Amino acid sequence: MKNHCIANKYNPGLFIYFLIVFTIFLITQGCYSVRISNVNGVPEPDPVNFEEGFYRGKAVKEIDTTVNLKLLENEVLVLETCPEGCFQTVEYRVTLGAVLLSGITLGKVRRIKVKYVCLKESDE
Amino acid sequence: MADTKTYFIGQWDTFHNNGPFPTRILYDMRLEQSANMPSFFDRFNDAAGEVQQLIQDCINHNERFRAYGSGWSLSPIAHQRDRMLFTGRMNLKRIIEPDDLYPFSTFDPNDLIFFQCGNTIKEVSEFAAGRGKSLKTSGASNGQTIGGGISTGIHGSALDEGAVQDSIAGLNLIIGPGPEDIVYIERHSKPALNNGFAKKINARVIRNDGLFYAALVGLGSFGFIHGVLIETENLFLLKRYTRKIKPRQALDLAETLNFADSEFNIPSELDPDGKGTRPYHFKIFINPYNKKEDYVAEIMFKKDYRSDYPNPIPEIKKAIYKDLPTWMARFAEKHSRLIPKFIGALNGQIFPNLDHDVEGTLREIFWDTTHKGPAFAFTFGVDIQDTRKALNLFIRVANEEGPVPGAMALRFVKASQATLAFTRFPMTCIVEMDGILWKGGENIISMEDFEKKLLEAYIAAGIRFTIHWGKNAAWSFPGLVDYMYGNNDDVWKDYRSALLSKQMADLFSNDFLNTVRLSDYRVNTPEHLVDNLLQ
Repeated sequence: MKNHCIANKYNPGLFIYFLIVFTIFLITQGCYSVRISNVNGVPEPDPVNFEEGFYRGKAVKEIDTTVNLKLLENEVLVLETCPEGCFQTVEYRVTLGAVLLSGITLGKVRRIKVKYVCLKESDE
Repeated sequence: MADTKTYFIGQWDTFHNNGPFPTRILYDMRLEQSANMPSFFDRFNDAAGEVQQLIQDCINHNERFRAYGSGWSLSPIAHQRDRMLFTGRMNLKRIIEPDDLYPFSTFDPNDLIFFQCGNTIKEVSEFAAGRGKSLKTSGASNGQTIGGGISTGIHGSALDEGAVQDSIAGLNLIIGPGPEDIVYIERHSKPALNNGFAKKINARVIRNDGLFYAALVGLGSFGFIHGVLIETENLFLLKRYTRKIKPRQALDLAETLNFADSEFNIPSELDPDGKGTRPYHFKIFINPYNKKEDYVAEIMFKKDYRSDYPNPIPEIKKAIYKDLPTWMARFAEKHSRLIPKFIGALNGQIFPNLDHDVEGTLREIFWDTTHKGPAFAFTFGVDIQDTRKALNLFIRVANEEGPVPGAMALRFVKASQATLAFTRFPMTCIVEMDGILWKGGENIISMEDFEKKLLEAYIAAGIRFTIHWGKNAAWSFPGLVDYMYGNNDDVWKDYRSALLSKQMADLFSNDFLNTVRLSDYRVNTPEHLVDNLLQ
């Protein structure tokens, strides 16, 4: 009985621990994404992509990386190739964690999360 | 050489999550790069050779074979347990030159385009638009492949244009692995291409109306559709209006399509005598759970093309593709009595925005849609004279046996000459309910039972009907195809048996064809049925 009472006692260390975990959870989950899609053209298909939603049946490529810029560098250029030469859809995702990371490092560390779908190949 | 990737997939699903269905192998074929093989005919014939090799491999392993495109059908018509070939990358296109035309053809070569099977409706439309041309009609969206679309009979609501297959002038089929197994079929009464073109695609020519119309809506079972010749027309604009309409006015119009004398009209679309002009497209949206509510009419008029119209896509994106939210199905399974309240509350979300007039080309008005979760569609075709009776009966069943999570619409299309066309009445009214898939339980009827109740009610009331081949239905209902098509299913089987060997007829069959009893092979069918009737 005594032990039980001790176990239920307010524990500041535990509270701070959960607060930190909760804050990290919020930082990493606080995010949004923006999708830019081409009015014309057809997405590159993927017949074995059965995921639910917008990307179902489409050949999705993802860029998920962190870039460390050198002192004099100020921009990031990611080069990708689409067989038809065009993107059909590009979606970028911004998380609170990535924004904070960039802010703390004065823009020198940038977290990049991008999804894209190429235009379907055509003989035109 | 074309390259085929093999997936031992285990199970396959439709675009709208109507499966999953057990499937052993899925083939994904890529064409040879145009840089390595610049000639259209070389690439097209190379792909044909690859398909024939896949067919031969199926023969060697005693397995069945089925091609499919975007998998948009909600029925299992595209499914095959053994081997499925995804055709979505087979998208060659070729304009027709005057030299390709049959000597006495009545077609204008400028209107004809030859497409490989895996071109989607959007690709077809964009290629045509680049040449100042348009499809005559399309479905409500543009993601179906042309091969899959015509073989299941997709349609829009273009009153006097017919379904998509009615614009087809010629069909190129692969019916086996041998050199004589590539055929080009067109009407002998309306030939389009000459023998020289057929020779370039290594095809033997069969000009035969009966065979052409049977193969046109071939349900993926008349062989592999490799190419189609489409008749297009000059680009045009559609002016789209959405208005409230009284149920009585809507149903009077639906049963007659007499727009000249209707009380419902669009003031800016009257003739000099003040009478309503005949629209290109007419569709009525209905909430089946509220008798007092007005319907919504979507009406479009055909206009000459001009380039100075505002971009319609932003409005179309908001206006057309409205779906019930997926969460509603989960909720409905537990609290089905609340479905009518939800549909009433979400009316503005489900039906098109009222009084938002838009103008655009066919390809812009019937633009993209994306996957929004598991979906169902019950789609009956009835003679327009039976519209009121068929609609009221559907609504009665939905209210008495349901409610179920869907909203209704009526569309209208003239008759197709295809033997198994869903649009087979002189003017077909399409009575449809679209919604989100639900599971039956203690609180809600199962979808399968609901489908049966609908069929029983229609048959008991003596309503003649068809069902869209690509939509949900109790397809195993006894005698269903006979009831819908009379002798036409026999005609279809005869032509199929005359064109295909018994082995190939079996290879191109699937569970769906067995279920609807169209896979029978008729051994004694006379071969002359598929003779070339015009050299």
